[in-house]
Order: sequence, then structure tokens, then C-alpha cells
Amino acid sequence: MSYFRCAEFRLAVALLALASLAAGCGVASTGSVYFGRVIPPEGQVMRYVTGSEIESLDPQVGTGQPDARVYQALYEGLVEYNPKNTLPIPAVAERWDINSDSSEFVFHLRKNARWSNGQPITAKDFVYTFKRGLSPELASRNAYLAYYIKYSQGYNTGGSFVRDPKTGQFVLEREVLEEVIKAGEAATSRAPEGENPAHETQFHKFIHEPTRLVLSGDETERAGQLAANPKIEAAIAGKELVPVKADDLGVEAVDDYTFRVTLRQPAPFFLGLMAHQFFRAVPQKTIEQYGEAWTQVGHIVSSGSFRLKEWIPYDRLVVERDPNYWDAATVKLDRIIFYPVKDNATIMNLYKAGEIDGFLNHTVPAPWMDHIRPLRDYMDATENGNDYYDFNVRRGPFTDKRLRKAFNMAIDKVAFANWRQTVKPLTGFVPLGIFPGYPNPKGDEFNPERARQLMAEAGFPVTKAADGTWACKNFPISEVELTYNPDGMNGQIATFIQGQWKQNLGVTVPLKSMEFRTFLNVRAKGDYKGIARDAWGGDYMDPFTFLNLFYAGAENGSGWHDPKYDAMLDEANRTSDPQKRYELFAKAEAYMLEEQPVIPLDTPSVNWMKKPYVKGMYPNPLTLHAWKFVYIEHDQAKWDQGTPSMAE
Amino acid sequence: MFRFIIRRLLITLPMVLVIVTLTWGLIRLAPGNFYTGEKRIPPAIEKNIREKYGLDKPWYVQYGKMMSRVLKGDFGDSLTYPGQSVNQILWRTLPVSATLGVLAYLLALAVGLTFGTLAALRQNSKIDYASMALAMLGISIPNFVLGPLLVLIFSLTLFWLPPARYGGFPSWSLVMPVITLSALYMAYIARLTRSGMLEVLRADYVRTARAKGLSEKQVVLRHVMRGGLLPVISFTGPALAYLITGTVVVEQIFAIPGLGNYFLNANFSRDEPLIIGIVAFLAILILVFNLLVDIAYGIIDPRIRY
Repeated sequence: MSYFRCAEFRLAVALLALASLAAGCGVASTGSVYFGRVIPPEGQVMRYVTGSEIESLDPQVGTGQPDARVYQALYEGLVEYNPKNTLPIPAVAERWDINSDSSEFVFHLRKNARWSNGQPITAKDFVYTFKRGLSPELASRNAYLAYYIKYSQGYNTGGSFVRDPKTGQFVLEREVLEEVIKAGEAATSRAPEGENPAHETQFHKFIHEPTRLVLSGDETERAGQLAANPKIEAAIAGKELVPVKADDLGVEAVDDYTFRVTLRQPAPFFLGLMAHQFFRAVPQKTIEQYGEAWTQVGHIVSSGSFRLKEWIPYDRLVVERDPNYWDAATVKLDRIIFYPVKDNATIMNLYKAGEIDGFLNHTVPAPWMDHIRPLRDYMDATENGNDYYDFNVRRGPFTDKRLRKAFNMAIDKVAFANWRQTVKPLTGFVPLGIFPGYPNPKGDEFNPERARQLMAEAGFPVTKAADGTWACKNFPISEVELTYNPDGMNGQIATFIQGQWKQNLGVTVPLKSMEFRTFLNVRAKGDYKGIARDAWGGDYMDPFTFLNLFYAGAENGSGWHDPKYDAMLDEANRTSDPQKRYELFAKAEAYMLEEQPVIPLDTPSVNWMKKPYVKGMYPNPLTLHAWKFVYIEHDQAKWDQGTPSMAE
Repeated sequence: MFRFIIRRLLITLPMVLVIVTLTWGLIRLAPGNFYTGEKRIPPAIEKNIREKYGLDKPWYVQYGKMMSRVLKGDFGDSLTYPGQSVNQILWRTLPVSATLGVLAYLLALAVGLTFGTLAALRQNSKIDYASMALAMLGISIPNFVLGPLLVLIFSLTLFWLPPARYGGFPSWSLVMPVITLSALYMAYIARLTRSGMLEVLRADYVRTARAKGLSEKQVVLRHVMRGGLLPVISFTGPALAYLITGTVVVEQIFAIPGLGNYFLNANFSRDEPLIIGIVAFLAILILVFNLLVDIAYGIIDPRIRY
């Protein structure tokens, strides 16, 4: 005990306190309109933190956002994301034709597109890229994005056509599938207008033949297919199975510079999807020569505006301007250095010390927000994503829609968003304000009175105690839990929402925290009691990337599906008028919201920073940056004085 | 002594295999897979992945495959970082972690031993109180507090040192991570040295040494140190193994591309080959360092004979 009384100890404590005080003053007294040091790097070099370590340099293998941003430097697809609104702009394809119901896309490639080794990029390269991405051997996690391409799902999952060995005739979908019979299958049979008659190839005729039936490659799934539809069982008797091959896919190099994609269904959003990393050109020769090692320095051949210079995993990844790139004159940066850093405070420190020029989204920690938000280098804009809670509609008390609605209405989402600071409140499911023209339907607003009424109707009356608090005595609290993974703010958010229910419904829902992958497993299987945390980041810029989550076959945490909802989405996707299509989507969304399988909570803000001298970089809804437009501005007069204008 | 070493080395291999087996089993028990993510993947794609990585085979086939690889010294390819082998990752990250760990170890030994010895020899003096107070701070301030505190002062206020990232050896980027890493060990060593030496200072054989007329320097260096340092040695042996491999927090704070970062993320992402590779490596290292400690005992303490 004598240590605590001695003078030295007191001196040490005083010194430490002084040191932290000095440090604290450092933060508060900078007085700058920017965060930390603002000293542009010499020349045209961008230093960027892209988040956790990337999985791979193969754009068809890596699935994360950090990876996607690196791929945007190294690989180019048919189209690229517009840096401001992430809608598609020309890339390797200089223009394209789309048929009237958006089920066939013809891309006209520019003739001067080059690989980093100087070889031309042709339509054959895209055929290879698409077939490779969908091959079961690659087992790409993103392959599902390409399932709109005709026969791609069958190929990717080892499915088979059914052929009569005597006549050579294939069993067709329209002979056995009710929904196809109803829809009339007229949709997928037209080529874009004014197309060159010379493009009418043998393959094109084949791909526009009535759709063949594809049986699942999985034994149990196939048995299920047969059991569910007696017509199939009858139709395939005595027939042989012919595996779907890569050559059956609806992709074709009509000539060296014309690439044609035929879809199994109308998909107006497909063009935007073509900017996704999964569809960016990868080099056939290099991959065939080196196998998995093709992405190593020395082997790699890339298609983008930059080429790989150095990669030390977990340390840095350096790319340099590629002189072979078709639009090299536009590219201003000589080099981009990507740093993999995961810890948010560390990223903020690097940025403040002027060691990096920008960083990824969702990074500024909530406690820093009061200090950071007023600064001019803070990027604040709506993201293509949402946060929500799933109700388990498979079992438990929330099979009752009235309870689902009550629990949703008992949350004051405006107060929630004000408390979180980096989000906007959301009552619907599709994020607000990022799809111009989309008439977002409104979900139920905060209404504790009505919520208590619904509780009573469901048999759980909420009564007021003498002290003014609410109580619900008979609610089966042991059958409900709020399950979440404790990463980021999830714990605090769960506590906030728990408080809302306690305050407005008199129900204290127990919280249950689980390690991330354990949680994902539990949520996917529906093994949680009542309520689970969930979120979605859109794959492309169309409301369908959100609405699709509840479509047949898609897995969503709540387990809610409805054939009527599926039909509404199908109808919308068959509609060629974009505004009409949006309206039909909105109708479907309103229908889903009425069923309340989820509690929409918020749309997050992108929440990242860049130094004012970094130009050509915008807080777009996907936080994906076309690096070819980014540059370092050394003239201080031209620096950004706030969030750069997003107007076109 | 020689036979003892051989015997211990022979036990090491089966022990590592047992550890590998247990680890493999524990990974199986953990829910979720390396390919599960916030974005759900359709079952058909999951099937493709399971086939590609042989996860559709019965468990004993998977175990046999894994074991036969490990026995050949090849841990296979990482699952989360396709195209990178575990051996590659180990060889790339070990030098980084080792540089940090060895420097922190040397710093901890130098400072800890000096202050511990001084404190013991001048018991209840100002230097004793001061060094033990500092040691108390070192033990009670966790490195995730100390690290950011140093960054705040030296990088963000004074702009003397880089706030994070690894610049190789030697470089200024090492200063704060090494201090952060060694603080706890420094403090422990100082306290262990002090208490060990105090105990020995009162021992009969030290009185004998003094009685037979040895100089104070000889008494301290030859008799007190040898006995007094035994607890320090048994602490620092495994500590070195941990310092080299287990610097997770410091690597996170300072964004250092070391083994600790990989180990942590491998566990979160269920990267089986990588987890097994690192665990096996760590196990070997700890077993070897324990052996070295036992050998050192035999040399330093004349009472121990093998």
C-alpha cells in the first residue's frame, strides 16, 4: 500500500493526466475546417484505406466491398459505375442496344480496348469471362448475380436438360411448368430493333427457341422438383438427361466487337449489373497458364485503367497507371496505394496525421461525430443499403401479423435516427432518395397508441400502472429474443430498440448476442426466437436488389414468402416503361410492408472522409470509385469546400 | 541432460498432433463456414463450394487428408485468401511479428531487470517505490489504452511518429508498437526480479557468501542473480513465444501485417487450414521455449539436475 502514498506515485499520476489533457487540447484546438493535417502528397499519388484485407485479386472470387474498390482500378467491364450516381456509363462497351422488354442486350465494344499486355480486348474475352464466372469448378460466391442469363443457373448448379433419345426433342418448360404456361413465354423472344441481320446466328436461333426444362443437378432437389409437379415426372419418363454446358449459356461473341447476352426473363437493371466486379474482363490465356496463381505480380494481366505494381498482403497494394489502357489520357493518378486497415480508430489516426488521403465508408465512429460532421472533408450522403430487424414468421408469437405490426409501430424511428446520427429513418424497405422517380411507399409510422391496441387484439393487453408506465403481463417473453452479432453499434442499437418496446409496450425483450458467423448460421436457418438483426447492401442501382430478397428461392432472415408478391415483381420486370415499372415495384413493396415480415430501421449514410485536394471522388450510394477520374489538386484555390456537388 | 532433451523433443511431435486434432474438431463444432457472409448465398452455390473444397466428404476422409498434409509440413491453402498457401503466409508474417516481439522482449528484459534489481537492492528507497509504482501502472494499463494514448501524444499532437503501419526494421514506425507491447512484460519482469531477488537476498547461502568475504558485486552477480532470476526465466520463456506470435491487439491498433492479425481473422472467418497452421506453429514454439526454459534452469540453478 505504501506505493499509493508516496510522492513519486502522485507525480506520475499528475504527469499522465497532464499528458492526456495536452492530447485532448490537441484535438479540440486545431480550429481547422478540415480534420488533421492537409498536406497533399507530391505528384499524382493517392493513398487510400479500403478496409479489411482483400480476399483475392481475382474479381470473380473476391466478394467484399474492399475488394471491389481494388478491382475498379485493375479491371474494366462492359460498363463502369458513374462516379456520382453509380449508374452505368460506357467502358469497354462504347454503346449498347436493348430489346423492348430488356431481355436481350447487345454490347458494341470499342476497338481500342487493351489488356495490360497490349493485346486487344474482344467479345470472346467477355464470353470467356462470363462462362468462367459461372463454372461450377470456380464455385464463385457471386455467380448468382448472373442467374438472369439464360441457362446460367442450370450450368452453374450442374443441372440437366431432358431429351427424348428417339426424336432428339428436348422437354420444354412450357410443356410442364404452370407459371410459364400462364406467362405465355412471349417475353424472351425478340432481338433489339434495327439489329444487323448478319447477327442472326445459329446460336441466336438456339437461344431463342422455347426454353428447355432444366432439372436440378442435386439428387434430393431433383426428387423435390419431380414430387412437386407430376407433369414433370410424366414428361421425363423414358428420356435421357443431358447436362447443361458452358456453350448453352446465353452469351455470344457475334463478332470480335459485338457481344450479345440473352436473359431468361426481362431484367431492366441488368445493364447496371454489368459494372459489377463479377462481370469485369479476366484474361483467358493467363488464367489457363498459371491457374490460381494468375493474379501474382509477374503473371497478372489486367483490363483496367491501372495495373498491379506491388502486393504485400495486410500491408499495401500498389497499382500504377496502365499506358495500354484505351482511355489512358483521362487517367490522372500515377499510382494508388491501397492500405488494408480494419480498425476504425486507426484509420482516423492515419487520416488525421495526413498519412492517407481518403478512406472507406462507415468509418467515422459515432462518438467522434459531433467533432467530425461540421468539417468540410466529411462525406455525408445516402447509401444503397438499409438496416432492419427480421421477424421470425416461421414459428413463435410473431406468426401473428398484429404483433409484428405492434412491435414495428412501437419504435420511434425518428428518435432512433437522431440518436444514431449517421442514418436516416426508414419506414419502407427500399432506401429513400437514391432511386430518382421511385415512389417509395410508406410503412407504418410510430404510433404507440395503435401498437397497444393491436397487442390487445392479439390477446396481450397493455395496461397502465399507477406510476404511468406500461406493462403487458401475459406476453410470452420467454419465446422472444432480440438476436444480433455484437459488431459495430449493434449492441447499443439493440438496447435502444429494447428500450422503445419497454417504454411503449411494457415488454422487455431479452437481448442475445452471438459471434458473427454463428449468428449468420442461426439467422439463415430461422433458429432464433422472434427477432434478429439484419441489413442489406444493394448489388446494383435498382429497387429490385432489395425487393428481390423476399422473392421465391431467395433466402431472407424472416422466412417470409408469398406467391402473390412474386407475381407482382414478375409483372413489374416485364414492364418496359421505367416509370410504370417503378410504380409496380412500389405496389409490391407496399404489399410486403403490409405483411410486416421485417422492421425497417434506417438507411445509413456513407460516412467517410477525403482530403479537400482529392478531386473526382464522390460520396456515391455504393462507395465505389472509378479511379480513372480521381486526381490530386495542388492548386489550393480549387480544393473542395465541402461535400462535392453530385449534380451531373 | 542430453537424454532429457531427446525425450522431450520426442514428446513434442505427438503433442502437436493432438493439439492439431483438437483444433480441427473445435473448428468443426463452431457454427458457420468460411463462405458464409452477410450476403446470403443460394444453396446451389454453397454446394459448388463444398464440392470444390471437399467439404461434402465424410469427416474421416477430411481429417485424413488434413493430417497427411500436416505430417508433410504442408498446411494447405488458405480458404479466405485463395491462392495463398498457409506456409507462405507464415513465412511472410513471422518475420514481422518476430521483429516486434524480439525487440519488445529485449526492451522488457533490459528495463525490467535493471529496475527490478535496483529496487531489490535498495528496498524501501525512493527508486524502489518509483519503479514499483511504474510497474503497477504498466500492469494495470492495458495495451489497447496505452497504444492509442501514445498515438495521441506522439503522432496526433506532436507529429513525431507515424500513427500506424509497419515500415520495416529499423524504422520509427516500430517505436510505439514496441513500447506498447513490452510495457506489461517490462512491469512483470521488474516485479518478478525484485521479489525473486529479495527472497534470495535473505537466503542462508547469500549470508554464507557474504560471510566468506566476497565483494558485494560478486555476491549479487554470482549468487543472488542466479537464484533470484529463476521466476523471471520461467516467465520469460513462454512470454517470448507469445510476444512473437500473439500480438493481436497491438497489430490491430498499429495496422501491422503480422501473424496476430491473421490468427484473429482466421478464427472469425473459419479459415481452417490457416487456423491449424498457426495453432500448430504456436504449439511448437511454446513447447520449444518451455524446453529451453527447463534447460536454462539446469544451467542456472545448481539444485536442479536432469
